[in-house]
Amino acid sequence: MSNNKYLVEVENLQKWFPTRRTMGEVFKGQQRYVKAVDGVSFKIERGEIFGLVGESGCGKTTTGKLIMKLLDPTGGKLIFDADDVTHLDKVGLDTYRQNVQMVFQDPYASMNPRFRLRDVLEEPLIIHKKGGTKAERMEMVKKALNEVRLQPPEEFMVRFPHMLSGGQRQRGATARSLILNPKMIVADEPVSMIDLSTRAEILHMMKTVQRELNLTYLYITHDLSTARYFTDKIAVMYLGKIVEMGVPNDVIDNSFHPYTKALITAVCEPIAGKVNRIKEVPIKGEVPSAENIPQGCRFHPRCPYAIKECWEKEEPVLEEVEKGHFVACRRYKEI
Amino acid sequence: MKLAEMRESFNDFWSEFKKEKTGVIGLIFFAIFLFIVIFEPFLLPFEDANTRWRDISYWEDWPKSAPPAWTNWFTSEKKSVTGTLTEYSESSQDMGAMVMKEFVFEYDYQYDDAPNDIIIHGDASGQPIVVVNIVRPDGEEIEVFQSAYNAGERTKDIRISIDNSSRSTIYNFAKKYESSENLSNVKQGLIKTTNGIFSKAQEGILRYPEPLKGEYQIKVTAILRDETDNMASPYIVLPGKVSGVLGTDSQKRDIWTGVLAGVKWALLIGILTAIVSVSIGVIYGVISAYLGGWKDALMQRIFEVFVSVPLLPVLIVLSAVFEPSIWMMVVLMAMFFWTGSVKTVRSMAMQIKEETFIEASRALGASNFRIIFKHMVPILIPYSFSSMALFIPRAVVYEASISLLGLGDSQIVTWGQILSDALNSGAVLNGLWWWVVPPGLAIAFMGMAFAFIGFSMDKILHPKLRTR
Repeated sequence: MSNNKYLVEVENLQKWFPTRRTMGEVFKGQQRYVKAVDGVSFKIERGEIFGLVGESGCGKTTTGKLIMKLLDPTGGKLIFDADDVTHLDKVGLDTYRQNVQMVFQDPYASMNPRFRLRDVLEEPLIIHKKGGTKAERMEMVKKALNEVRLQPPEEFMVRFPHMLSGGQRQRGATARSLILNPKMIVADEPVSMIDLSTRAEILHMMKTVQRELNLTYLYITHDLSTARYFTDKIAVMYLGKIVEMGVPNDVIDNSFHPYTKALITAVCEPIAGKVNRIKEVPIKGEVPSAENIPQGCRFHPRCPYAIKECWEKEEPVLEEVEKGHFVACRRYKEI
Repeated sequence: MKLAEMRESFNDFWSEFKKEKTGVIGLIFFAIFLFIVIFEPFLLPFEDANTRWRDISYWEDWPKSAPPAWTNWFTSEKKSVTGTLTEYSESSQDMGAMVMKEFVFEYDYQYDDAPNDIIIHGDASGQPIVVVNIVRPDGEEIEVFQSAYNAGERTKDIRISIDNSSRSTIYNFAKKYESSENLSNVKQGLIKTTNGIFSKAQEGILRYPEPLKGEYQIKVTAILRDETDNMASPYIVLPGKVSGVLGTDSQKRDIWTGVLAGVKWALLIGILTAIVSVSIGVIYGVISAYLGGWKDALMQRIFEVFVSVPLLPVLIVLSAVFEPSIWMMVVLMAMFFWTGSVKTVRSMAMQIKEETFIEASRALGASNFRIIFKHMVPILIPYSFSSMALFIPRAVVYEASISLLGLGDSQIVTWGQILSDALNSGAVLNGLWWWVVPPGLAIAFMGMAFAFIGFSMDKILHPKLRTR
């Protein structure tokens, strides 16, 4: 165990997916890429909940999968617990998987519909050869179910995923990720498929578990409101890059980047008189394709404040504008 | 899966399967085939048929190319049905120097067409003299046979065929009644012995015989001149003009026996080939889909090579090169049949592979082996079952085709081999339909049964392949 303050350090991480080449490109030896993650850097402290926010297709899930080692990065560096884990061999991966676990967006799809909950939870134990006998493993399953407040565990263990409600399923999925005693959990939109009424409950449970076990979370979401409630730090992603990063209060109440501002404006507020009014979102257009990232500041085609130098000069880098508050915008002071 | 779960899902399946009429018909046929296999020892008229199908001496007592017995129902002239006489009354007479043992068989003859022969069997030892007398319903007694046997010290089966040995006796008997004009038209060496025995003693007995119906007595007398001489447990076979449930072939074999004995081989070949080939195909398809990329491409090219090889010529060549055995045939068929399910399985596996729970499993650190065999293959099991059912008829027909070409396993009886023999003996040209139609129908029914089951299973199980 190192005394490093940071559990995860991501340095300029890249994931480029090659596109299918046309005949012409094959002859010319060209290859285009979809730059899903295009140079992302951040650090997650031990025991911190780090939120990664962005709209669909901005590369936040890909970042999560890179950290989960479900995908191999094209470039950059990934450091976990002071060890470089960018490229791992089989043994290293095995250890890494025990330390980093994932909770998926759709808790039903993330469990084999033919498995009972106890089989779902037993699987990681079998894979990593934890618990010598079946009885021991079942004890561990019960313990994990108690941790996520699926009580009484005996009753839930024998159920199939379709016999559980959305909230119960996500608790089960969380239990599965906890059962190996990981150091970090990557939660990919864990509550986006859950009823609003149970969302807070699940998040509360996750937070309690996090405090009890001193876990580190990477919380991936498109929902700024839960991110604010849940996280210790937020990074806003746009088109494969982080545009703003800081503590939730800074990022949400005192945002600098025009994209962050637009995101905040887009959040629905269930206040009488406001719901049926379609909000004016300051940005225009759709997210450009990650295959064809705009020159200069990648946000400039949609930015209401873009001026000539935004697309003529090189891309702005993430810089610390206040203490612990990073922004990648040339004109943050003016707007 | 636990037992209770399996029972539960089976009950679900069964309640839906019951609604499929064709499936139930298929299942009934399958049950009949299974019944035949299980009770084969009790159903086979000839118990050694499985081992002695190609043994000419085993079948020598039976008529040649006889139609089924039930063809009598449709004709006004009733032909004699093949029968055996095993009941006799035994008497023994001590005459000082020798002992006379007499066995009397009763035969109630009520046909219009005489049997082909009278064949007498008995266990003899020493040097008995055997005399056969036939007492006709009109009171005439003919001594048709007399001969001394040298059986040796061991008990030996003796066989007396009246047809050949008594031709002149019968000719002499008939000569008394037949007109000289008719006699001049009949050659002694060509008369049918049994026609003389079973016809009215009147003019035309040889030329235009009229059946003499009634009780016949066949007396078998053994004259024993020594202590060691003996004759015991005789029986008589009367090979008729019609025979058995499905008649006989030109090599005197009972076709019903052959068809019954063929059931188990057809089932074995079909089921074994289907299980092996579908298992290989499913696993191959899943692995190919799961690995993806160039490995998938390579596996698909290999698959295409196998698909494009025509199986029948390959089987013919290999059967000609090697000693054809049923096991080799199963292996060869499995080697080519597995391709049948690969494409479907691969496309289904492609879909399953993208499911989040597969990714979740990978995130947990599951090995490829575990993901393929624990998560992917079980989902494809219902499909595998239905496609197995559809492969069985294919395998049965292929085996029949190979056997039809005379390249089958010579140790066993299969329907294809019966058909092959029929074809080689010109059964079709000679109108021996009872030799061709039953094995052909059996192949068709076996194929139909499993095709029906397979289609019904497909209908029921397919919607459930979608995991959600």
